[in-house]
Amino acid sequence: MRPAAARLAGMERISPHAVALSGLRKSYGERTAVAGIDLLIAPGEVVALLGPNGAGKSTTVDMMLGLTPPDSGDITLFGKDPHRAVADGVVGAMLQEVALLEDATVREILAMIASMHRAPMPVAQALRLAGTGELGERRAARLSGGQKQRVRLAMALVSDPDLLVLDEPTAAMDVTARREFWHAMGEFAATGRTVLFTTHYLEEAEAHADRVVLMRDGTIVADGPVSGVMARVGGRTVTAVVPGARLPELPALPGVVDAEPVGDDHRVALRCSDSDAALRALLARHPDARDIEIRSASLEEAFVLLTGASRATEEVAAR
Amino acid sequence: MKSGYLRFEVRRALRDSRFLVFAVALPVGLFVLLSNLFQSQGAAPAYLMSGLAAFGAFKAALDTGARTAVERGAGWQRQLRLTPLSGLGYLVAKGAVAMLVALPPVVGVALVAALTADVRLADVAWTQAVFGIWLGTVPFALLGLLVGQLCSAQNMQTYQGGVLLLLSFVGGLLIPVSSFPPVLAAVAKALPSYWLAEIGHGAVFGNGRLGVALAVLAAYTVVLGGAVVVRYRRDGARA
Repeated sequence: MRPAAARLAGMERISPHAVALSGLRKSYGERTAVAGIDLLIAPGEVVALLGPNGAGKSTTVDMMLGLTPPDSGDITLFGKDPHRAVADGVVGAMLQEVALLEDATVREILAMIASMHRAPMPVAQALRLAGTGELGERRAARLSGGQKQRVRLAMALVSDPDLLVLDEPTAAMDVTARREFWHAMGEFAATGRTVLFTTHYLEEAEAHADRVVLMRDGTIVADGPVSGVMARVGGRTVTAVVPGARLPELPALPGVVDAEPVGDDHRVALRCSDSDAALRALLARHPDARDIEIRSASLEEAFVLLTGASRATEEVAAR
Repeated sequence: MKSGYLRFEVRRALRDSRFLVFAVALPVGLFVLLSNLFQSQGAAPAYLMSGLAAFGAFKAALDTGARTAVERGAGWQRQLRLTPLSGLGYLVAKGAVAMLVALPPVVGVALVAALTADVRLADVAWTQAVFGIWLGTVPFALLGLLVGQLCSAQNMQTYQGGVLLLLSFVGGLLIPVSSFPPVLAAVAKALPSYWLAEIGHGAVFGNGRLGVALAVLAAYTVVLGGAVVVRYRRDGARA
């Protein structure tokens, strides 16, 4: 019999976190890419890693996959170190900027990868899951950008991983391709697997993730369910066409934090701490206010607020 | 478990028929062109055969290894690092493919030499000339892999061209070293290509220096093999 403590340690390994990062740091020369992050992801979670360019998302992903050694800190994926997890097929990943071999067919590439894993899914199943069922005999040279990306998804899926890591999976995809991609990813996530993806598209994080982790300057600045992260920004925004209203007067209304013009037809956006009070006051003072809309703060606003994103990143975020 | 990767790479190599045809056609064509010239200068076609068989073999192996620069530049090696394939497994498979494509040029030159230039050797000597040169190509496959790991896909061609010229001309594969000035001849004898041809020369003219040839090639194999493995391991991070 082993002592109790050892048995307890063993128990912990039976149901470990899908991802456990602690004190993770990485610098490239003078530049700190990741400045000490801790992150636990439970099995079955779908997590979006958001942040402006240079926030350290891709470096974090590279370290998780064993492609880049961290300067310090620990990484385990289902209790295994990254290299072990990759070798055991526990983690599948789609990387940025990975070209496909142009002289091999999609099926050949998938069969080759599957042949190296102990318990892969059938190639046909990976093709179907990734929405690439009809592309098996094609060579990569004759695929569209969206198709290539779904083939990369199939490559990540074919080991039948418990954890799927996607680095900017829909960058450079058109709308249709993005929708098809997320449909494929959703089918996989529905089987109870863990998914971590990085993205610039806030609406994707909102639509497809259970949880959002915001990074800025190599640190995690917010972490929680999508609604929770948005609640941190607080309040709602009221927009309305208010003829005759003078913009500087509007923030004085009860419940309004600030006001800014939208477009040029007297439309204003009022960021509110209490939208109900603000709306009552607005209508009392400006009965001719019309085209009124009330909406929750978008994740984009949360993103800008919490990451202190510069205009450059706002552009990226709005893309 | 990793044989699936080797099969995949072999199939890709065999599919590239243009590369394979050119790999054979270049040394065979050079042999046909140069053999008359050599004979008019009193040199034996068998001497030229060894040089051009070595040239064809090491060029094919070197080119194949160096083309890994393209896969590396395209991020394909990063993709492979996400599979159970080890770095050593990748390099061994690539080296094996380089060796595979190095055989046809040697056989091609030997056949043309026998058929058109009347080169006649004993069975043992043929075996040594063909398989000896082929097996001696191992360090060149490694050199190609090293070039592939060090160069970008864009500048690979340039380096590759330089390496090829140095090894083939200065190594004495196209012009006999006996016609070199002494300094150049000394340089030639430091190059692995000179000793690769020497395996063939030995088969024809006597094996007095076969031991040296094998020792030099073995030393190059160890050094280049070590360098390739170290370089691949360090290259895990994005460039």
